[in-house]
Amino acid sequence: MKKQMIISVMSKDRPGIIASITGAIYRLGGDVADLNQTVLCGYLTMILSASFDPEVTKEDLLAAISHIKTECKFEVSIKELAVVSADFESRPPEETYILTVQGPNKAGIVHGITQFCYEHNINILDLATTLKNDQYTMALQLDLRKCSVNLETLQKELDDYSRHSDLTVMIQHNDIFQVTHEVSLH
Amino acid sequence: MLRSDQILATVEMIQKENLDVRTVTMGINLLDCRGGNIDETCVKIRDKISNYAGNFVATCNAISKKYGIPVVNKRIAVTPIAFVGAGFHREDFIRLAITLDQAATAVGVDILGGFSAQVEKGMTKTDREFIASIPDALAATTKVCASINIATTQKGINMDALAMMGRTVKDLAEMTADQGGFGAAKFVVFCNQPGDNPFMAGAIHGLEEADAVLNVGVSGPGVIARALERLIHNHPQPGSLQLDELAEEIKQTTFRVTRCGELIGRAVSKALGIEFGVVDLSLAPTPTVGDSVGEIFKILGVDAIGAPGSTAILAMLNDAVKKGGIFASKTVGGLSGAFIPVMEDAMLAEAVGNGSLCLEKLEAMTCVCSVGLDMVAIPGSVDADTISAIIADEMAIGVINGKTTAARLIPVPGKEPGEHVNFGGLFGASPIMPIRNVGMSSRFIAWGGRMPAPVHSFKN
Repeated sequence: MKKQMIISVMSKDRPGIIASITGAIYRLGGDVADLNQTVLCGYLTMILSASFDPEVTKEDLLAAISHIKTECKFEVSIKELAVVSADFESRPPEETYILTVQGPNKAGIVHGITQFCYEHNINILDLATTLKNDQYTMALQLDLRKCSVNLETLQKELDDYSRHSDLTVMIQHNDIFQVTHEVSLH
Repeated sequence: MLRSDQILATVEMIQKENLDVRTVTMGINLLDCRGGNIDETCVKIRDKISNYAGNFVATCNAISKKYGIPVVNKRIAVTPIAFVGAGFHREDFIRLAITLDQAATAVGVDILGGFSAQVEKGMTKTDREFIASIPDALAATTKVCASINIATTQKGINMDALAMMGRTVKDLAEMTADQGGFGAAKFVVFCNQPGDNPFMAGAIHGLEEADAVLNVGVSGPGVIARALERLIHNHPQPGSLQLDELAEEIKQTTFRVTRCGELIGRAVSKALGIEFGVVDLSLAPTPTVGDSVGEIFKILGVDAIGAPGSTAILAMLNDAVKKGGIFASKTVGGLSGAFIPVMEDAMLAEAVGNGSLCLEKLEAMTCVCSVGLDMVAIPGSVDADTISAIIADEMAIGVINGKTTAARLIPVPGKEPGEHVNFGGLFGASPIMPIRNVGMSSRFIAWGGRMPAPVHSFKN
């Protein structure tokens, strides 16, 4: 029975980081399943999941990664999963919505919105923000399956939030964005 | 991965640019509702409509709420009633219209189409009784729309039926004189009428269709106008933007608009368990400011709607809309093009008022777009034969070019050019369009018979 590990790495960005990390995994007989990476202000962060033979330990993997020659030391954290998770749904759940937030930049926008989500038991699946000409834009992909209120009430509360925060907050179903941005129909 | 620029463009389109689904229209076959007499037939029709469309409006509203896109109209189209009522008389057809009106009201739809006949080659006794019933039937009902197909590319024009159309239009307007002749706004004469068009007044459930089907009409002239304005604004240098790029913008915007329509239509279809038919890609304006097809002419470079260049612009617009929409949807049908209904489009109406758009130019424009001379308010004094002759010209355009054309003319009783008529709501308002050469076509209309079908080769 294979074991699955979740590995997160942060480092100053340079060419070859992913090749080095996945090389270390490959030499331990690991099989990379999923990987996400992003670069912000010259720093790379990645998260990946890989499966290994049962005798490979967290420590073996840490040692292998720490032997990689690199200018800036990798900050690594590894989590071993007790049970190998089944394949995740590739399609987001039916109740997936996109929330957009726009307004003049100020401290606390991300916290305010994410706190609102937390208070309504809304899970954030994806989040991207941009700052341009002092205008702050957030786009969040949300899972409303366990939301504590219905869509209508949520809409009203977001309207109130909009009014009180000087931000334009809008919510729309994920399918709309899928059909307008992607060529294939699901 | 979330791309906030794309996401914001879609949010703008829906929240700020009047994107809506103009109509979800349920087509219902009524051929199996024919009973032994009129009473029995009325009961069967009422039952069948209530059976299929009982949850229709509530379902549309729920799906509209889920996706945050308004479905402006919920409509029903039925089998052309002259087929359903074969052998019935004028009075029976009026009762059928009242039954349809009651059934439409009971299920809560906005409007019902299909009080119709197809007489492009010849008329039966029933067809004549049916046509005679139209003015009374529409005056006695509020939600029923009527249409007659009097011409096709395959069969030519039925000139006997054509001669009756001018009189029918006049009677409709005169019987509703207290409402500015509004009855005529619920009646349209067609050439090559499609059986799956979800737009009114010409929606029918064609004989070729399944028992019930859902067709969707998308909208979006406002969305197209704003997209073009944005593109032009982002290219301020002279020469940095050419017409093909503007056509491409229309195409891509239509793609996104159509996708939204298809999403809603298929969701309603799945929820009701009724087959999804087609998306009709027509750009349908509303009298709301910023939701005008006329505005697009000005954005694309003519300072007055109707000025030379207007026909070319409309040809490009119509084609770009089709190109974007056909790729976006699995099944496209209906009319699919740009509408230029004068009363329903504030900028077109204004162009009539200031004299830049005349009937002849409007007719030329209908050669390159769907649908035809639509919602044109004309003086109430124009005689029936002249109206028939205007319709004949429009039919000929459809016959020769192998396309759908239609005429919905409203001879507003007691009004002359310079005066206004206002129907309110989606039907809009307009100054009265002057008509030249009134009373000069009676000898032509009097011939009757048929205008033969055209040759289908040597197309020049």
